[in-house]
Amino acid sequence: MEITLLVQATDECFSVIEKARRHAIDVLNTATLLTSETRSVEERKLQALLKGAVQARASSQQFLSTFLILMAFWCLLSGKFDIFHLSLGCICSLVIAYLSHDLLFANVRVGDARLIIQRFIAYMPWHLYQIAISNVHVAKLVLSPRMPIEPNVFRFKTKLESDMSWMALATSITLTPGTITIDIEDSGEFVVHALDKKLAADLNAGEMEDKIAHIFMESDHIYIQDALDMARVFGAMK
Amino acid sequence: MIHNSTDVIIKTVARIFIPFIQLYALYVIMHGHYSPGGGFQGGVILGASLILLLITHGERVAMQRISENWITILFSLGVLIYAGIGTLCLFFGGNFLDYGVLAPLLHVSPAAARSLGILGVEIGVGIAVMSVMVSIFYNIARSGPYRNKGTTARRES
Amino acid sequence: MIDFLYGIGFGLCFLVLVVLYRGIFGPGVYNRIAAVSAVGTKTLIILLIMGFIYNRVDMFIDISMVYALLNFVGTLAAAKYLEMEK
Repeated sequence: MEITLLVQATDECFSVIEKARRHAIDVLNTATLLTSETRSVEERKLQALLKGAVQARASSQQFLSTFLILMAFWCLLSGKFDIFHLSLGCICSLVIAYLSHDLLFANVRVGDARLIIQRFIAYMPWHLYQIAISNVHVAKLVLSPRMPIEPNVFRFKTKLESDMSWMALATSITLTPGTITIDIEDSGEFVVHALDKKLAADLNAGEMEDKIAHIFMESDHIYIQDALDMARVFGAMK
Repeated sequence: MIHNSTDVIIKTVARIFIPFIQLYALYVIMHGHYSPGGGFQGGVILGASLILLLITHGERVAMQRISENWITILFSLGVLIYAGIGTLCLFFGGNFLDYGVLAPLLHVSPAAARSLGILGVEIGVGIAVMSVMVSIFYNIARSGPYRNKGTTARRES
Repeated sequence: MIDFLYGIGFGLCFLVLVVLYRGIFGPGVYNRIAAVSAVGTKTLIILLIMGFIYNRVDMFIDISMVYALLNFVGTLAAAKYLEMEK
């Protein structure tokens, strides 16, 4: 009898101790959880602060560059350089830059803007030559009495990535006589209408796309133009 | 209700052109006394730029940029500027919109005062015209053919 | 020089008439929209030629820019309206 009582008592003692231990572990766990939570919250706050600072810097840069571009455009339009008109232009450019500084540079890729502009200017004569060639071709097609046209719609998948280069390629295709970009799908597939098999084949060869990719510094191709540029740099180093 | 367009070309072109269009509109307003144009034309171009934003980027983006309350405030403000300058001339003893009498207030010669007065009136007219255009377009866009289908919408094929 | 400009202007007017046929009788709305847009571009060049004839290019260039802009926005709005109806 006494022995059983003793065993029961020890059992109860052990269970109480076990309960206390569990409780202590729970408390400790919640404490660590709380501290880690507060730490992560603080970290998140710090990150948000840093991100906000970066964003503010980027937006102020955007504001400044938009203002400079608009001021140059104003000088081009106005043509009057007395102090009154220049200050008017300054105020107007500030207002417009404040209203829409996030539109002009919405999603800019990393790249040297000056180099892009240089390459774009170098691309223009080639494109004009291309327009002249296909202009003559289309005129021949249309003016010949048999009208040997074969209108067809074809699709090709582009390797370009940003929306700027998509737009540049689409407008280049549309500017060339005989071919029109109908649509760009979200996956980057161009739907193009061509008047003739030859025009479609010219476009499918992908020279224009290569040039556009070269302008906007996209895709992993090595271009002859790049090699030539580098050769000049190495020549200067020697 | 005008939804966001999914077309990449149109969106990109509109995004790049809109600041230049707005600056051109302000140029037309400010140079109204040297070249063709003036308050009304500049206001229409400014309104057209906002309409371009609305039809390419959707109603929500345009409303974020300039809400209907702001539009209401702006077109009252435009009329206030116009009528205020006119009435100011009455107080200085001239006729309505007779800017020459504002010369002592602005400390310039009467000819320059006329030029500045016309500039102020044109800014007022431009703001009023822009906000009224955008307000009309907002109203049309919010109760378009989707709201009461089949009354105005008919397509010829 | 003036004769040359007049020649180009009248040639463009004739082209406007040709395109206007498509705008009036063209089957379907889309042909009409394209025709109106084409007429707009030709009107722009005619305006510039008028500027050269009257020796006020700086004035007419402003007008033609506004014309081009409103043509663009108008075409886009018409296309958007037809897209919404679908």
